[in-house]
Amino acid sequence: MQSRRNFLNETSGGLGGIALASMLANEGAIRANETTERGHSQSGLHHPAKAKRVVQFFMSGAASHIDLFDFKPELLKRDGQASDFGEPVEAFQNGLGPWLKPLWDFKPYGACGKLLSDTVSPLGAVVDELAFVHNMVSKSGVHSAATLLQSTGFLVPGFPGAGCWVSYGLGAINENLPAFVVLPDHRGFGSNGVKNWDASFLPAQHAGTIIYPGRPDPIADLFPHKTGGYITETGEQQSQRLMQQLNREHAAARTGDARLEGRIRSYELAAKMQLAAPESLDFSAETHQTMKLYGLDRGPQAWEKEINVAEEVFHFGQKCLAARRLLERGVRFVQVWSGNDNGFPRRNWDSHEDVRRDHGPLAMGMATGCAAFIQDLKQRGMLDDTLVLWTTEFGRMPSSQGGKGRDHNPFVFTNWLCGGGIKGGVSYGESDAWGYKPLDRSNPTQVYDIHATILHLLGIDHTKLTYPNNGIDRRLTDVHGKVIRELIG
Amino acid sequence: MRSQKNRSKMAIEMASIFFVTGLFCSSLLASWKPLSDQSDTFFQDRIQPIFRAKCYSCHGPSVQESNYRLDFRELAMNGGDHATAAIIPGNSNASPLIAFASDLRSDWTMPPKQSQKPRLTDEEVASVRDWIDNGAHWPDSANATMVNPMDWWSFKPLRKSQVPATANHPIDAFVHAKLIERGLSMSPPADSLTLARRLYFDLIGLPPSPEELDSFTREFDIDSTSATDRLVEELLAMPQYGERWARHWLDIVHYGDTHGYDKDKQRPNAWPYRDYIIRSLNDDKPYARLVEEQIAGDVLWPGTRDGIEALGFIAAGPWDFIGHAEVSESKTDGKIARHLDRDDMVSNTMGSFCSITVHCAQCHQHKFDPISQEDYYRLQAVFSALDRTDRQYYADDSLQKQFVALERAKNEATSRLKEIEEPLKAMLKSAEPKIKRQRAHWISELERIDGELKRLPPLKAVFAGGIHTGSGTFVGTGAMGGKPRPIHVLYRGQVTQPSAEVGPGALKAFSFSPSEFLLEPNSGEGERRVALAHWITDSTNPLTWRSIVNRVWQFHFGRGLVDTPNDFGHNGALPSHPELLDWLASEFRDSGGSIKGLHRLIVKSDTYRQSSSSNPMGESIDSNNALLWRQNRRRLEAEAIRDSVLAVSGTLDRSMGGPGWQDFLIEHPEHSPHYEYGLADPEDTKTWRRSVYRFIVRSQTQPWMTSLDCADPSIRVDKRNESLSSIQALALLNNGFILSQTKHFAKRIERESDELSVQVDRAYRLALGVSPTTNEHAQMLEFAKSNGLPYLCRLLFNLNAFTFVD
Repeated sequence: MQSRRNFLNETSGGLGGIALASMLANEGAIRANETTERGHSQSGLHHPAKAKRVVQFFMSGAASHIDLFDFKPELLKRDGQASDFGEPVEAFQNGLGPWLKPLWDFKPYGACGKLLSDTVSPLGAVVDELAFVHNMVSKSGVHSAATLLQSTGFLVPGFPGAGCWVSYGLGAINENLPAFVVLPDHRGFGSNGVKNWDASFLPAQHAGTIIYPGRPDPIADLFPHKTGGYITETGEQQSQRLMQQLNREHAAARTGDARLEGRIRSYELAAKMQLAAPESLDFSAETHQTMKLYGLDRGPQAWEKEINVAEEVFHFGQKCLAARRLLERGVRFVQVWSGNDNGFPRRNWDSHEDVRRDHGPLAMGMATGCAAFIQDLKQRGMLDDTLVLWTTEFGRMPSSQGGKGRDHNPFVFTNWLCGGGIKGGVSYGESDAWGYKPLDRSNPTQVYDIHATILHLLGIDHTKLTYPNNGIDRRLTDVHGKVIRELIG
Repeated sequence: MRSQKNRSKMAIEMASIFFVTGLFCSSLLASWKPLSDQSDTFFQDRIQPIFRAKCYSCHGPSVQESNYRLDFRELAMNGGDHATAAIIPGNSNASPLIAFASDLRSDWTMPPKQSQKPRLTDEEVASVRDWIDNGAHWPDSANATMVNPMDWWSFKPLRKSQVPATANHPIDAFVHAKLIERGLSMSPPADSLTLARRLYFDLIGLPPSPEELDSFTREFDIDSTSATDRLVEELLAMPQYGERWARHWLDIVHYGDTHGYDKDKQRPNAWPYRDYIIRSLNDDKPYARLVEEQIAGDVLWPGTRDGIEALGFIAAGPWDFIGHAEVSESKTDGKIARHLDRDDMVSNTMGSFCSITVHCAQCHQHKFDPISQEDYYRLQAVFSALDRTDRQYYADDSLQKQFVALERAKNEATSRLKEIEEPLKAMLKSAEPKIKRQRAHWISELERIDGELKRLPPLKAVFAGGIHTGSGTFVGTGAMGGKPRPIHVLYRGQVTQPSAEVGPGALKAFSFSPSEFLLEPNSGEGERRVALAHWITDSTNPLTWRSIVNRVWQFHFGRGLVDTPNDFGHNGALPSHPELLDWLASEFRDSGGSIKGLHRLIVKSDTYRQSSSSNPMGESIDSNNALLWRQNRRRLEAEAIRDSVLAVSGTLDRSMGGPGWQDFLIEHPEHSPHYEYGLADPEDTKTWRRSVYRFIVRSQTQPWMTSLDCADPSIRVDKRNESLSSIQALALLNNGFILSQTKHFAKRIERESDELSVQVDRAYRLALGVSPTTNEHAQMLEFAKSNGLPYLCRLLFNLNAFTFVD
């Protein structure tokens, strides 16, 4: 009899059956080692985990750290003066106009007294849970490459997203739902589209599954396309039964091929997902209080044509509530996007022309949703083992572009994390007086460090979660990454 | 050239240091004593830990910058690339190692300042000096065992192995020999229906019709060998053969119809390359020619359509359009984009044709294989004049010849005119009459050429590697006459840290052919590509021939003789049948590189034709079936599933070639196109063509195909994943494509018979290639009665038997 392990040894290029069980029941590479079926005595997780689940909020287009989270009094003083960086600067669109002060006032919040911009004021309610990293640096000031770097750890397309690695490593908690879910901006994808979350060289089931909450078809092909008008409930039952029987007879004549049984099982799981997925996205059982918390109590409206706060709050809140429900039901990793591609009119964070116009509504929507999400997780006791990361592809320059906008700043930007073992109410790393580069230029934080820290909190040594591809044992963190101990509570 | 100059310059400087320090030291000679009483433990306890902590990361077991390593005595002493002794026992002052490690020469500092790695402390330098001055005793017990990295199966010359005398067919002989060693034997041959279905899917990627199966079985029962041979010839002669096998090649070279990255713009002219591959495979073009055309077809066969369309290979992969079009080459981000662009060209070339992972040598010497950073950047220099751009041409060879000649004449006239006009500047009026006449001649010549060019029919274009002439931030090298960009070795792969400039070349450790291309100083960039193409197709290149036969083998057996088809290096898999691989590679090379010939050879073997059924003996000894005691059951790829659905439903449009069909609608095309698959109409008959003609979007891969493990066009895929998931099951159950085809399938059946019982039988045979058992038939008939034929068709498309080929 060909065992599952042997079969997968064969298909996964000799990496042991790491991907093995994940093929059939979506157990993870690491957790799979715990099962006796593997015949391995490995201990599973590399060390005890503090977090079980992850949610990543991604602000597409590059959110301005200096207008949201990283207060720079020097810019207030020098507002309007010719900018001087003390060195030649390469800016993407050469937007190196005069210094531009933050577009909003900053006020202190929480016990930690962290200063937050008025446009993210709802986050004040949870600021004592948040750990800010103000010295993030990117390797590129081009949206596409920089977005890939934050989402996959590489500058070029063709690498699995962070969620794919977590799915591959830990597998699903609830096999009736995908392990890795992506909630894109309802207006479309950010730079690189699905390349930020697809499985690339990892097996396809580790790809992020796109879900659009609030749509009749939240997952592609979850229900029959309209052309299949002949499909009925009784027909489905009979069809499932007959298919299973024919498949079993087919398999019985072909012993020793685990794929045949695996495929039968995948149809059982599909039927279960048809029930589990809509339930997980059905907000009707949520209390009015919860709906209000997420800014969803008024429901969808006829939105204004111009970008506006109410619309942003509604759409982002919907994704945040869906994220909570999915995580609650055992989804391992949820990626929530704010902002689509860099087209016009701006519906993302790429505010070259007017920071106030775009960042205002987007940030208020984001902050309302994120704050609600964090409070909700906390009251449900889920924040302790759910790790939250807020990120973007890079920051924006402290100088102005065309008076009201800001150019790209790959040299420094901000991330924040919370929950899942993160120490709250701290700010780690500092940017310089302008928010132009890290204060300590030789010790910046990179995405590798953030990813290493996330994997660490999930019980994974980031150097040991690997998959072979074209001659290299690939990792999420490439050849870099150090766990940021200062962020761990 | 330049690099060599740099290197010899360094050697001279080094020698002069020896000389100076040597003089200085001579006065100390009196105090020198050949100490051999230095204990073994001194080196192990005091010196080796210093090397390990401060030096090994660049000069140790896994990385050897400049081919220098401090874990291995002989190389530590002899100095790596610089070919001068690094440690001179008894004389630390004369030992370059000390010059590097101490501050004796600031420009030689090791570890380099930019690496920000800790220097040796003064005490550590003193200890190393002490050790050297006392004889540099390095005990065997502390010496690394050195393996010659060239001592590796795939780097050794290809030799045609002796065929064992165990079977008639050479493949069977080699396979038998291995099986016998392990007490195994081949499985019985597959029955006619199984064999036919296998051959159809393997060779043309489409299922046989019940009629074709019937006629084959009749012949097979009379003479199985001649029936099979005839079928193989028939299938190889079908145009669908090229479509099937081109798709395999397009996986390897990561072909796509959009750029990828941000804004993901369309490449409306990528498809001529795809069609070129299909046509070349159908024509059974000799493999060497196929390789050479894809790298340098424009230079080697100017004036031919294939010579231009083949260059789509160089541009096949993803491309950071914004990093080129919006960021100039003078900016760091612009440099990174162009560096990554060349990296893709280099990796694609060496990975696809030679199965070697040169991209690993971008930041440091290859950790496993004998590939230096310099080798890697010399390969970049081969492509450094190129960008990805539309190249204009004529599909008609005689027109193309005319066009090439006129273009050449135009270039000539333009440069002659420039030669005349430049020295004159604005003084044209006062020029000598002779000069004026010459000028007038070239002006009229240009007018004549332009006139002739205008009279030619409209040009075609292919998106390919070529000299780009642009404006704004994306200038290309056209304005410089296609002069290659200078290429430097980049410290740690950082564009901000260039070191020595390098010229074009290949892999130095492979000595079968000169690896540094000896080109005329004024030779065009094309000569660089020609040199690389010839290096690759050299009959003594140990990689090329093994690489291609292994790939072809994989698509016949589901697994290559080497299970890492893109990596024949030390980190890759070992061949399961090295003698067979070498025999096949030699045979393939020596008989003219006919891929169809290779198919014939393989599918005529008993090894190929055996049953895929398992048996306990085989499972217990070789459960992976590496030794081929049975054929492997294979799951159909996304394309084969889709094409089969169309073929079975009777809707497959077999027309060939041309722009890809699109199963999406584009929204917001002006900025970043949104490729909306959900909005496409599954009843759009334009999409009912074979999957190889699908328009492949990189940023928004087709979700249905992706769930079925379709190759990701952003990465070089040598072997597809095989996953199973509920998402995949849902895709096959509910997608609009499947559901609309079930109706057409049902209509087809209804056209062919009026009786439900016959219809059920027919549907089953069409979909699965065999007849249902009585019991199966009865159950399906009952199902069709209560749910209708389309429902039954949907069920058939979802069966394991539809997706797997025995």
